Amino acid sequence: MSPQDRREFLFSTAGGLAACALTPSLALARPIIRAGAPVQVALIGAGRQGRAILGELATIPECAVVAVCDSDDSRLQAALRRAQGVKGFASHAELLEKAPEVEALVIATPTHLHTQIALAAIAAGKHVFLETPLAHTLDDLSAISEAARRSTKTVAAGFQGRANPVYSLARSFFKAGALRELASLRSQNNKKTSWRTPGSTPERDRELNWHLDPAHSLGLIGEMGAHQFDVYSWFLARQPVAARARGELRLHKDGREIPDTVACELVYDDGLVLDWSCTLANSYEGRYELFNGAMAAIKLAWTHGWMFKEADAPTAGWEVYANRQQFHNDSGITLIADATKLASQGKLQEGVGLPYTSLYYSLADFVKCVAEKAAPACSISDAARTTAVAIKAHEALRTRSEVAIDPKLLEAL
Amino acid sequence: MLERLATLAMGARFEIVLEGRAPAHARAAGEAALEEIERCDARWSLFRSDSLIARVNRDAAQREVQLDADTFELLEACEELRARTAGAFDIAIGARMAELGFRGESTSAAHAPSAVGSALELDRARRTVRFTRAGAQLDLGAIAKGEALDRAAAILRESGVERALLHGGTSSVLALGAPPELEGWRVQLAGFEPARDVLLRDRALSVSAPRGRLATRDGREIGHLLDPRDGQPLPLELRVAALAPSGREAEAWSTASAVLLARGVAPRELAPATLELFTPVAAARAEVPSPVPSLR
Repeated sequence: MSPQDRREFLFSTAGGLAACALTPSLALARPIIRAGAPVQVALIGAGRQGRAILGELATIPECAVVAVCDSDDSRLQAALRRAQGVKGFASHAELLEKAPEVEALVIATPTHLHTQIALAAIAAGKHVFLETPLAHTLDDLSAISEAARRSTKTVAAGFQGRANPVYSLARSFFKAGALRELASLRSQNNKKTSWRTPGSTPERDRELNWHLDPAHSLGLIGEMGAHQFDVYSWFLARQPVAARARGELRLHKDGREIPDTVACELVYDDGLVLDWSCTLANSYEGRYELFNGAMAAIKLAWTHGWMFKEADAPTAGWEVYANRQQFHNDSGITLIADATKLASQGKLQEGVGLPYTSLYYSLADFVKCVAEKAAPACSISDAARTTAVAIKAHEALRTRSEVAIDPKLLEAL
Repeated sequence: MLERLATLAMGARFEIVLEGRAPAHARAAGEAALEEIERCDARWSLFRSDSLIARVNRDAAQREVQLDADTFELLEACEELRARTAGAFDIAIGARMAELGFRGESTSAAHAPSAVGSALELDRARRTVRFTRAGAQLDLGAIAKGEALDRAAAILRESGVERALLHGGTSSVLALGAPPELEGWRVQLAGFEPARDVLLRDRALSVSAPRGRLATRDGREIGHLLDPRDGQPLPLELRVAALAPSGREAEAWSTASAVLLARGVAPRELAPATLELFTPVAAARAEVPSPVPSLR
């Protein structure tokens, strides 16, 4: 190693941060559900997300899928093959009328169709799990929020971060002040995909690709960004007061009108800014949420999380056991569920990563809340506020101007 | 015009070449098919802590584990195949695969030889699995790629695609229809003497060869194909290709046939009539290696 190389090596090493990979020390195992008879569940909307939901529900012993509903017959038949032995319906109205045994509904239809179905399900006295974003207009949001408030049943929303044990653990560090002064927030969702759903005919193509239709869709900001905005809403316990956004069509020039590459800034009242970006042209680094503080940074990536500590940050006793991961010049600590116990057994490495999918935790939380009459990890009012932020951010993108987000508007939800 | 897409899953590169109504339709259909492959990986991967199979391997020795319908049906098919091949095909070889260095880190479980019978108790009514043999660990490496190709092809068909060629790591291939104005997709079997081409149309092909992945044990090279009944690696020069109506059958039977051939049993006597098998002449002369001892 030449003197020059060595100087650079020392410099970069000194500049590198200590990163801590967060593996949950909270409940990493599946939620313990006190259930008598399995909760009778129906799925409405058997598209991609609906199929994923069916797969996860099938592995939760405390619930039983008894009905599936989709207006498209081929999707319905595919879901019925997958679920086996359940009733199939072409409309939610028919399901509500003819399947009285259904206690809980999971709604995974296109966003702009949520409202009518959710209102009918709540009015019919069902427990409801509503996928997110909740709606594509503020009026619809208000209606859903109001109906959920009046319901005596469990009404939960599908922002998954709130039920994810890795995120819960990271939040406990965040709330305990591990980051100190918050400097900046950065988040991205990159995936190389056309974001199109293939239909068997051109007509079906148009119906299935509602998310590419500006009349019905909140675009990337709503369908992807909202899930990440909600993580910040949950951690910070406050909402931004303004949104700025820009977007371009960089790769998928196939006749669509909505951009495939978007950047958005959400501004908080103290000047803190969340920089969020998303592209459908490149997959590098995928999806993550980053919090940069004066003493540490936390990076969350769905099934994993890490804490990168500054050199002058205080050292905690548990860090002796920490599993560490190297990211170029930075070394992170992985916080691990039951870390102390696993370390004593020499099995710390086995605790890295979630043992269940993030969607599983969300749905299991819903089933648990139905069985135990408890409050869900993600309430409709929490999800409504985040969705409203996304609607405003989408408006900023459409109008290419800064849009104010009225705190009173959010409080009313 | 043909579109070409790829993803990384199950430790391999999956690739699809397909024709759609229009380039945007072909790309969307290909992406949906690749997503299905990624979903299979997410459920059946040994390399992901949150996969369903990782959950089974963690918990099924202590309690019943609830499965989704697809996974349950796949495990049932694996058990049928285990019975039909007298244990030459067995997915409960995860511990031995890990011990020999083919699946990342070694697990704490010891290999459970399959000669004594099934390691799994499958409850169809409750859709659960439980291990009945100490040390059982599942490894779907001998069937999952083919199964994923079948599921991806089903998505393509549902999307109105009539012509496509899909492969997982080049060892499992599935053809949907044929290229325009041709009888089928021409696939060359590498390492076969004499050189051999296969024309694929609505059929699947899988090649099993110990040399496909190698590890070193006591200074000696060993291949990734094992006889589940005693945990011993198969002769390195063995090579079997199987042609079948589905990717699942092709992959499972190419593996099972390799094991049977290595032990001097003709697979044809056990295999379904729809299966075609190819073995290069050299494979018949392959020497049986000396046993690799277990560490435990």
